[in-house]
Amino acid sequence: MLITGIRSKPVYAPLQPDLAGRYHVMVGHGVGAAPLARLLGELKAAAPAALARTRVWYITDPAASQSSAEVFHAANVAEVRIFDAIDPLLADLTNALDEALMGTRLYVAGPESFMGLIMRIAHGFNLAGDEVRAEECGTMARRVHCIHCRATIEGVRTNIVECSCHRWLVVRDHYSRRLAAYMGVMVDAEAPGERPDIKEVFL
Amino acid sequence: MSGGADHADTIPVRVVAIEEVTPQIRRFTLEPIAGGELPAFSGGSHIIVVMRGAQRVYRNPYSLMSSPHDLGNYQISVLRVDPSRGGSAFMHEQVRVGSEIEIAHPVNLFSLAKLARKHLLLAGGIGITPFMAQLHDLRAGNVPYELHYATRSPEYGAYCELLSGNEPTAVSLYHDSNKHFIDIEGLLGDQPLGTHVYVCGPAGMITRVLDTAHALGWPDSHVHYEKFAAPPTGDAFDATLLRSGIDVHVQPDQSLLEAIEAAGVDAPYLCRGGVCGFCRTEVVEVDGELIHNDHFLSDQEKASGKVIMPCVSRARCTKLVLDL
Repeated sequence: MLITGIRSKPVYAPLQPDLAGRYHVMVGHGVGAAPLARLLGELKAAAPAALARTRVWYITDPAASQSSAEVFHAANVAEVRIFDAIDPLLADLTNALDEALMGTRLYVAGPESFMGLIMRIAHGFNLAGDEVRAEECGTMARRVHCIHCRATIEGVRTNIVECSCHRWLVVRDHYSRRLAAYMGVMVDAEAPGERPDIKEVFL
Repeated sequence: MSGGADHADTIPVRVVAIEEVTPQIRRFTLEPIAGGELPAFSGGSHIIVVMRGAQRVYRNPYSLMSSPHDLGNYQISVLRVDPSRGGSAFMHEQVRVGSEIEIAHPVNLFSLAKLARKHLLLAGGIGITPFMAQLHDLRAGNVPYELHYATRSPEYGAYCELLSGNEPTAVSLYHDSNKHFIDIEGLLGDQPLGTHVYVCGPAGMITRVLDTAHALGWPDSHVHYEKFAAPPTGDAFDATLLRSGIDVHVQPDQSLLEAIEAAGVDAPYLCRGGVCGFCRTEVVEVDGELIHNDHFLSDQEKASGKVIMPCVSRARCTKLVLDL
């Protein structure tokens, strides 16, 4: 199957503070709270003064308690911005980065699809690999871009998915940073109706 | 790709104009002898000028400062270095209007970052030259930029008039003689995200900018510099070129690369300033100390004693064997 072995698939690593940075922007979604809390702890231990130059953006997980937001407030960072939806957070973060100065480091923790959206904003500000760190946690469900009708399908867990254009797509590892999505390609274009078994693979 | 700019790759050009820009800086305008256009280049590129002196051949890099949109000629500026190792004195004393010289194809090791949200250009003295070519692109583009240009005094400010005529808001001039210096810390501490800084000038200025940028949290990916220093001099030493099967003697004021070239070996090079890494050469054996003067090899590689950059680095030893 043509979904693996593609190098555009992003690679992530556990978050660590970059002490060379002057300002720290941390962005998390749901279970991303735990890595961010750990990161704040490490930053506090290594450079306590840096907390005054640290800001946190976070989307609460409706399933979880409010405790994660409280962790951020308790950390004495310069600012904590809590949201309950992605789009307002993206708009707010974009405005903040537009005012941010060189010397800023961006840290992202959350499900992969969320990180892709943040990375897209980061690239728009010409943030390079040495300014951004990302730790994947939570669901591996993918944002999939239908290369035929260009619709985006959110939260795809299966190897094969039906698009709103009624085509059945195989989800590739080919990732577009510009679209913040994996490519979905019609699976039975050569032999209509012949489709592999559908399996949950992105858990 | 061939080994840098060998003789077959050079372009014969004629000097059609020489202007004295300051007491020590001359601007040379070069046209292709064959007519037509010279190779296209982007702002920040340099060429190597091949100077055939009476005693030896010099190959010095000079930034192209003319417009990338006008390929009918190239312009370079040559600062007379005192004492000169030979290259700049040759350009000032031997080269006349009508002289025919050879140049190598342009190479750009100091290009503008295509995705930058803002460009911050810091020039000191003769370091203005690569920016002169880049300004042609910056003025035509939509990306904000600032040029800060420091010189010893107004009369040493090559091209100040040329610059101040255009975009007074984007260009700031500084003169040491007026105790007016670039506020490097203030500038680097207050730039929007996605800014790239470029510095070209004296070694001290470059070091100050790099150190300040690092201290203020600038990542390496956004900091660019170009330094065209003459190869450092030192004690004479000998080297054996293993594959060529010859020995070369390196004079105190000669670089290892120049000695290799003088022996007729076509060694690879691009920048001749210890930054591009193209002349990286394996050291097979050395019984003394390598004196690394480049900005390319990692500290680990330098300590290993296994590799050297012949364009700027030397050795203090009785035996040096190179894989060349």
